[in-house]
This record gives sequence, structure tokens and C-alpha cells, in this order.
Amino acid sequence: MENTFETVRTLIANKLEIDKATIAPDSVLTEIGLDSLDTFDIIFEAEDKFGIKVPTPKEEIKTVQDVANLLDQLLLEQSPSLQGQK
Amino acid sequence: MSNTRRVVITGMGIVSPLGNSVETFGLNLMQGVSGIKRLQNDFSDQLEINIAASADFDGTAHFSKKELAVLDRVSQFALYAAQQALDNAGLDTPNINTDKTGCYLGTGMGGAASTEEGYHRLFREGQSRLKPFTVLMAMNNAAASHIAMHYGLGGPNITYTTACSSSAIAIGEASRQIAYGHCDYMLTGGSEALLTYGTIKAWEALRTLAKVDEQNPSASCKPFSADRSGLVLGEGAAMFVLESYESAIARGATIHAEIVGYGTANDASHITQPSVAGQARAMQAALDNAGLAPEQIDYINAHGTGTPLNDATETAAIKQVFGPYAYQLAVSSTKSMHGHLMGAAGAVELVATTLALQAQLLPPTMHLQQPDPECDLHYVANHAAPQQVRYAMSNSFAFGGTGGVIILKKS
Repeated sequence: MENTFETVRTLIANKLEIDKATIAPDSVLTEIGLDSLDTFDIIFEAEDKFGIKVPTPKEEIKTVQDVANLLDQLLLEQSPSLQGQK
Repeated sequence: MSNTRRVVITGMGIVSPLGNSVETFGLNLMQGVSGIKRLQNDFSDQLEINIAASADFDGTAHFSKKELAVLDRVSQFALYAAQQALDNAGLDTPNINTDKTGCYLGTGMGGAASTEEGYHRLFREGQSRLKPFTVLMAMNNAAASHIAMHYGLGGPNITYTTACSSSAIAIGEASRQIAYGHCDYMLTGGSEALLTYGTIKAWEALRTLAKVDEQNPSASCKPFSADRSGLVLGEGAAMFVLESYESAIARGATIHAEIVGYGTANDASHITQPSVAGQARAMQAALDNAGLAPEQIDYINAHGTGTPLNDATETAAIKQVFGPYAYQLAVSSTKSMHGHLMGAAGAVELVATTLALQAQLLPPTMHLQQPDPECDLHYVANHAAPQQVRYAMSNSFAFGGTGGVIILKKS
């Protein structure tokens, strides 16, 4: 299974048309060009990809790793079996 | 327009079924080329009437992925046309007072594709959530807002929705911002991108769409012809740069035409059926605003949708306003070629009217083969006609009854 961070990084790189290598776990979303709406859009794409539903986050989403952590947490909660997930 | 400033057009830009530059549009227009064709897409076989005038426009060639994620097709058209208009006017927005520059734009349905995509996801696919940008892409004022953001235009920004007259109203109202001295420049026009499955189905239900001419689908829109059967939906945008005459002269800008009159009125009678009195009121209001006698108008770019009712009503309204002189002036409907662009119609047709003044050449009404006793004016049938044009009028009428009429003077 592809690491969640990798997936998020790919989604962001694709959206911003930038090199994946420039995105690190601690990259601040607003600094790489994603405002709060853009971040919701990335989360929306991740929802489709992982087949999960993301409620409005309680904690502040600041970095790329924050997005990945949020998704990981939901994957654990919402997918009893992760078999077959890419 | 006494005690007001003269308003001139110094920039034009277009996305249309006849091409995505003013030059290409003008060449096709004057040669009688039709942009109407059979639709070939994933829903066209489910349509009863599968013709339309689509624009050959690929957003991916002009915008980044990030931009496209928030721009409905209607906003893409508007931005692309706005850039052309600014370039054409020789205006570089960092060098102007953007606080005194505004954007008035007309659109009928705004981001129709985004609205429909959202419904499709909910009702057809059974999904429970929509894309976060759905509202922002679908709202009618998105296109004008994106223009303001892109160029930092801090002046007035208003979107007009009066169905088929939306952009004529937007341009007319924008001209007043210049005339009254409220703004230095106005970017104004209209955009429409409604060739979606749901929208076309809704238009089919209204029974106002033209039957497909099976011999020649591109000739399906036949304004003023006895065998006309309706309108053909189109998509695109046109944007103008307006400024005062003094401003244009001072900076050495090329003046394409002068807006000397604008009038608007409502039929106040029926949601779809046009009224002679209402249309006449709008034309008379524009003439009064311009301080012109009817005999000074040489050419009318008609609303001329190609529906049986509109064309007969508009002909009667022209006769009411112009009297016997109606038989001497030239009237044409360019919708026969570019289709009905709804909220963008008035803007695209104002480009056609401006080109007629510049070239002293009247664009034709194509596919007019069978004279109709109810439509007995000079319609410039089937071929462009060279003619002296000093003043030209562009008519836009609409469902809901709001007419918008603009009068241009040759520069």
C-alpha cells in the first residue's frame, strides 16, 4: 500500500503542477500555494481515492503531513480492512 | 447624453462559435460561415435536437490545473476574452488606476456545467458530497469576480442576469459608469456556457429550439425566413474596454466605435412572448438617450432569434419606432451564424455591430430563402453588403421581458 503522505503529495503536485520532490511532510500548505479551499479540494480528491468521508477537521490543518495524518486516522476508523487499497 | 462624457470602445475580445479572436470572428461573419453544427459528445444521442453553436475552446491550453479547478467554462471564456480586450486596447492593468476600473458582465446561467455536475453526482451517482468549489464555480458572479481578482480591478463589479439581454444591459450600464465619470475604464461584456445535457433538455421542453435542417444542419437557424422554426443555442463570450473619448485621445488609443445611446425597457406582459410595445420602448429609449432621429440609424443588428414569434414581433417593433423609414434601413440577424449565445448574445452581437461600422460592411442574415409577409424589411439576406453606416443599433430582447438596446457611432 502506498504511503498516505505519498498519495497526498501526488495529489498536491498534480494540482499545482509542481515537482513532487519539492513537497516535504513539513511543507506548509499556504506556503506551497494551497489556501484553505484548495486544501478541502485535495481532501475531497483523497476521499474519492480512499473511499472515505472526511468530516470538517477539528485540528488545524497546516502542513502536508497534517493532511496525511487526518486521512490515516479516518482510514483506520472507516475501513475495517485496508486490503485492496492502493 | 448631455453633460456627460463621451464613451468609446477601445478594446474587444471574443470566444465564439465563429472563432476565438475578433479577426477570425469578423472574417467568418462577413463570409456567412455558420458555426452551428451537430453536437458530438457523450449525451448528444439522447437529445431530440442535437445541434448547437459550440466554441472550439480548450481551457487546458490557457489555464493551469489549479486555475481550472475553480474556473467553470463560463469564467474561462470571460477571462480569455477580457485579456484579448485589454491587449487590444493597449492597456496594461498595472499602469492604470485599478480602483477606478470596474467590470460589468452579463450571463444567463453562470456556471451551468458546475451546477449540473453537482446534481449529477448527487442524484445520478448517489454520492453524498459535492466538490468544495461547486458553489464558487456555479455562482453567476464568478466570471466577473475572477476578472476583478486577476487584474486587481477594485472598482464596481456587477453581474447582470436578464436572460438573453444580460450582456447588452451590462455594457449599457457600464457605459454610464464612464459617461458619469465614476470610472476611468470598464471591462464589460458577457459570457455563457450552457451547452450541458440538462440545460439543452430544458430548452427542448420550451419548444423554441430550431428543427434540424437535415440537408444542412449548419443552416438550421433561419431568422426572418418563412421556414424559420426556432433558435439554436450557442456559447462563448465577448468583452470590451470602455473609456471616455478624452482618455482614449490622450493616450492615443484606437477608437473602434462610440457608444452614443443605451435604452432598456420591460415588456411587462408575458414571461416568454415578446411584445411590440416593449421592444419599441427599448429602441426609443436608446434613440432618446442618443439624441438621434430614427432616420439617422443605418443598420440594426437585430435580436433575430429565428423563432416565429420573435422575428415577426421585432419587425413590427422596428416599424413602430422607425415608421416608413424602416423599409430603408438595413436589419440583419447574425444569430443565423453564431447561434443564440443567451447572456453573451448582446456582447457578441455588439462586436458584430462594431465590425460593421469599422468595415462599412453589413453582416448578412444567412439561410433566409423564403420571404415571410410578416418580415418584410431589408434583412441583408445571405451575403454581406457594403454600405455606408454612421450609426448602428444592436437589439437584445429576452425571456422575462427586459430589452437592452445600444447605439454605436462610427469613430
